[in-house]
Amino acid sequence: MIAPAAGLIGIFILVPMGLTVWLSFHDWSTQTPFHTARWVGLRNYEDIFSNISVGRDFKTALRNTAIYTALSVVILLPLSVLLGLLVYQRNVRGGQFLRTILFASYMVPMIAVALVWSKLYAPTEGPLNQILGWVGIGPQTWLAAPQTALYSLVLLNVWQQIGYFTVLAVAGLTQIPGALYEAARIDGANPVQSFFGVTLPLLRRTLLFSTVIAIINAVQVFEPVALITQGGPAGSTNVLTFHIRRIGIDRSQGGLSSAMAVTLMLALIVTVMAIFAMNRRAEKQ
Amino acid sequence: MKTWKVLPALILGLAAGAADAEPVEVSYLTHWSPETVALLESAAARYSEEHPDVTISVRAVPFGDLLTTIRSSAGTSAPTIAGIYDLWLPELVRDGLVAPAPEAVAEDVLAGWPSGIAAAAQVDGTLYGIPNEVNVYALNYNKALFAEAGIDGPPANWEEFLADAEALTDKGAGQQGFGLINSWSAGVVHPFASFLASNGGTLISDGVPALDSPQAGEVFDLYEKLVSNGWSVPAMGTADANTTGPFLDNFVSGKTGMIVMANWWESALKAGMGDAFENVGTAPIPVGPSGEVSSSISYTWQTVVSASASPEEQAAAWDFLAWLNGEGTGEGGGSAMSDILMSMGILPSRSSDVAANEDVLGRDFLAGYVSVLENAKAFPIVLGGQEFTEALQQTLESLEYGQISADEAQAAAQADAVSILERAAR
Repeated sequence: MIAPAAGLIGIFILVPMGLTVWLSFHDWSTQTPFHTARWVGLRNYEDIFSNISVGRDFKTALRNTAIYTALSVVILLPLSVLLGLLVYQRNVRGGQFLRTILFASYMVPMIAVALVWSKLYAPTEGPLNQILGWVGIGPQTWLAAPQTALYSLVLLNVWQQIGYFTVLAVAGLTQIPGALYEAARIDGANPVQSFFGVTLPLLRRTLLFSTVIAIINAVQVFEPVALITQGGPAGSTNVLTFHIRRIGIDRSQGGLSSAMAVTLMLALIVTVMAIFAMNRRAEKQ
Repeated sequence: MKTWKVLPALILGLAAGAADAEPVEVSYLTHWSPETVALLESAAARYSEEHPDVTISVRAVPFGDLLTTIRSSAGTSAPTIAGIYDLWLPELVRDGLVAPAPEAVAEDVLAGWPSGIAAAAQVDGTLYGIPNEVNVYALNYNKALFAEAGIDGPPANWEEFLADAEALTDKGAGQQGFGLINSWSAGVVHPFASFLASNGGTLISDGVPALDSPQAGEVFDLYEKLVSNGWSVPAMGTADANTTGPFLDNFVSGKTGMIVMANWWESALKAGMGDAFENVGTAPIPVGPSGEVSSSISYTWQTVVSASASPEEQAAAWDFLAWLNGEGTGEGGGSAMSDILMSMGILPSRSSDVAANEDVLGRDFLAGYVSVLENAKAFPIVLGGQEFTEALQQTLESLEYGQISADEAQAAAQADAVSILERAAR
């Protein structure tokens, strides 16, 4: 009796995906009915990988999204494990309180986060630069320069998401039997050896899940860009979701934006499959 | 009898069934601030007193989200009325999102507004909107900073402009001579187009991009010179979705000596500067080496009615707009719309509104803008105009941040413009 589920999946997932792929081969204004779409073959794909402005902007957005995603994952995962280890210590006072504080940032609405962080990052009168000034570090450009704007958004993302991934790490840590640590201790392992010999291998499934979720979350970044930077300065924070919105809705270029969405979807599928393949290979070894 | 008193009857007569006085709900989408929205709501309430069958609700979104909201809500959830930037009109018409104005409204607009402004509300000879505001660019300068730097008055040409920018720059104090905007397409491109107009050039000539002209090349060089010498600091020019942010903060806090900005900023400047607003001077754009007279660019905003609204809603919407923009509905014989616009320092575009507000338009800040309006050129309105603007924005920002040279910027800007307009015409 999988027909109802398969039907729902077909209607709500496969049909929109197939429609997006179909539209990516057409010239179509998003404000007009589907029957007005005009077949253009691979022209939309040629345009988004060309050297004209459409292609340049798309490739910049693709690169920005890749950098944002890679940095977010590389920072979030180790930090979440580290914080997870800290707050998981049952005999540490305030562990529960710390977990609550960490998770709180994940619950704050992005509009509030954006408002606060745009002021924190203000180049001349922002608190962050003032704090840096107290310790002798000169003012940073943060969101105001293309060299630093994307990294500033990564920092904001890490701040907001770290609580969620820490909770995932703690959940993974609770699944590790205490007897294994006891056995490692009897065998003479120090805490560092216990971490690499017991904790990390047994956290693999949790980390795999966290990695996939972190990638999907990062690839879908939209609000901070729309609310704070509008993709600037000089396109340095123009990420794919924001760019596709601009092309597909503001400019109504449905065919082009569909080609971009299909490319993003393929890139995401390939990345996630590669991670699963690497994980399988590691498990076999 | 005043035109606005006749129009409602004419318009209502055009819409079958509208005379039955069925309750009609009209929604109005704008990007105005809460204070201005309150004025619009007050005007709408006055209208509803005379027309109890019509309810008008106002919704505001940030400027950065306005076009998206109009497009994404197209259909049954579309706002009945929307305020739009004139550059957006050709594509909204192409996509069938806005309704043509009834004949009576079109006749009133053609008779009551300057022809250039009425033209910006038309596509292929059909009028789609009622123009309300006109904005023009001029040089704003901080008189106190000028006095400190020993500068007598605003620069008249680029030579003086660069000298003043250098004199006003104090890197140690975090002060820049001239402020360039980034992260806001119109905020980046309009000042560039104003310098270009004052240098005898234009963005698009007869539908063909003209960014490869020597005049345009000189503007790219001017930008490169400002940035490479540190007289303009791009990092101080970031704008956010509400068209405020560090760019505004730096001017109001006296860390920027000069900017090129439109008149509608008056309310933002007043709010940010308080008493120090009296230090803000307005002057024509300095004339470039290839220019003969100071020029600038102008653009308009207009209110359009959704094509997906019912005939009754459309009729009620046009009737309300005709009343809102009609003579005598505001103070001093002007329109209610002109009162709202003047509260923000925005120039009304209806000829009778300009006459009715002559005294107010004579105040220091606005008088500088009114004086440059005569020589201003309208920002080109073409299919693909928004994409063209955003592409030029990217190129200019790359130049400002030293990622490309002036020559590379000019070549890229022209190539982009050609390909965008060609693609839009397919």
